[in-house]
Amino acid sequence: MTAEQAVNATPHLNGKWEKGLQALRPEDKPYIKAADTRAITGSVDVDTALVRVDPNANRWDFAIGYQHEDRDSECLYWVELHTARNSQVDVVLRKLRWLLRWLAGDGKALDKFERDFVWVSSGRTDFTLNGPQRRAFADLALRQTGGSLQIPNKRQ
Amino acid sequence: MKTRIKRTAPHLRVENFGPIKQADVTFGDLTVFVGPQATGKSILLQLVKLLVDTAYIKKEFNLAGVDWSGDFSGFLDVYFGEGMHALWEKDTRIAYNGVSVELPHRVEEKLALRQESMFYIPAQRVLALRDGWPSAFNYYDASVPFTLRAFSEHLRLLMSDFGADGTLFPVPRRLKSEFRSLLQSHIFPGFDLRIDTQHAQKRLVLASKEKGGGSLPVAVWSAGQREFVPLLLGLYYLMVPSKAPRRKGVEWAVVEELEMGLHPRAITVVMLMLFELMTRSYRVCISTHSPQVLDAVWAVQRLKEHGASASNLLQVFDVEQTQPMIQLAEKVIKRSMKVYYFDRTGGATRDISALDAAAEEEGESGWGGLTEFSGRASTAVARAVANSKKEAP
Repeated sequence: MTAEQAVNATPHLNGKWEKGLQALRPEDKPYIKAADTRAITGSVDVDTALVRVDPNANRWDFAIGYQHEDRDSECLYWVELHTARNSQVDVVLRKLRWLLRWLAGDGKALDKFERDFVWVSSGRTDFTLNGPQRRAFADLALRQTGGSLQIPNKRQ
Repeated sequence: MKTRIKRTAPHLRVENFGPIKQADVTFGDLTVFVGPQATGKSILLQLVKLLVDTAYIKKEFNLAGVDWSGDFSGFLDVYFGEGMHALWEKDTRIAYNGVSVELPHRVEEKLALRQESMFYIPAQRVLALRDGWPSAFNYYDASVPFTLRAFSEHLRLLMSDFGADGTLFPVPRRLKSEFRSLLQSHIFPGFDLRIDTQHAQKRLVLASKEKGGGSLPVAVWSAGQREFVPLLLGLYYLMVPSKAPRRKGVEWAVVEELEMGLHPRAITVVMLMLFELMTRSYRVCISTHSPQVLDAVWAVQRLKEHGASASNLLQVFDVEQTQPMIQLAEKVIKRSMKVYYFDRTGGATRDISALDAAAEEEGESGWGGLTEFSGRASTAVARAVANSKKEAP
């Protein structure tokens, strides 16, 4: 199953898969740095698609599909673009918990893809690469990447 | 209210000098150099020393009978150390404070004799105490860099400052009591640093505070203690026990690789003592491979940006909030700090003072390579957690 097929099989996401980074707002696209833009299989704006279904939840932003050279199947990058301040940690972790719950339920078709959960800083970050926050996030499956998500050709 | 006289920040521009292809460095009250081995951090610092202390260096060599007979290559070998004459190339360019410096000419020209303005604590400082007592400048052969020979000579002369009982640490009028207490806990637990005489030869020992506890010669000290004692003596040299904040004539203090052999708690104390040097109006330059040092600089900068208090800064260093330490922190938070990354790729030196972990440029976000490993570790763990027990789609 491709990511596009999985999106179309997911309640409330049918037809929301877009080519390349077209599901992202124009101002958000510069935060994504793909080694090969042709390897981006598509994207989906989860936040907007589910706003009517779950209006009061802290919803995750979007997912990007990428076909790495060293993988047979697509990988999904679940990206939250958010201010990287200490005061925002609880908000982003609530979003992550929401996403994991959703993937275990309605989003189960997308739960099977190899993935990264990525918090991209919209602005300067309070978290240094060697800081304890990043390690704590890692234990919760979350990568805090700084000011952009760099997607290499080989995932390794 | 006292106001600090604003000094013009010195500026050095270097092209094609050994591993340095291009460096453009504006010095702050604290300047930190980071980067892999052999990228030119120490060479640049030694070059600054040569520029600001040319006459002093020539005088010291002259007194020691070192003669390069007008051969500039020979001078480079005795100043930077054997084999370093290749640093200078035809296309080497140096400008200090906007003025082009023709180094071969400067080394030979007659200059008015001035006091030494840069005190340099080299990375090889442990060699200055290898026999348990600092050696004279002349003890070293001409293959040894000037900075090590001069440092050793300074320590030798410093020894005469200590009284008949021969205690070097702890000494009441040397260092703030807070520093003494921290050093005792983190570096010399249960020991005093003393001068001992064995077979008529003076030597440094760590003497147990316990009755009948004996003394330990340099050879059996821990690696951290061996590395730290010459650094401590260097700091004694700079922190004169008088009302004057600085040693007469000395404006610059250089410490290479302050972290050598030290536990992070001890590094914390050394950082505080370097901050003390800044507050005494020394212009402090350090090279480091320790991410903790950049953590400290990052914290000072961010706390300053957010208008945080001195108390917040002291929390970073986990020290008691005494009045002297609060005053120290209040001064430090106002000082300028610069960080430069010596990148092996291309040999260019980059200003990464913002220490922005979100910077797109890897050299800045990874703090000149010091935090890259931690970043990769977090990524690998996050990925493993995100994909554990997954079935194929």
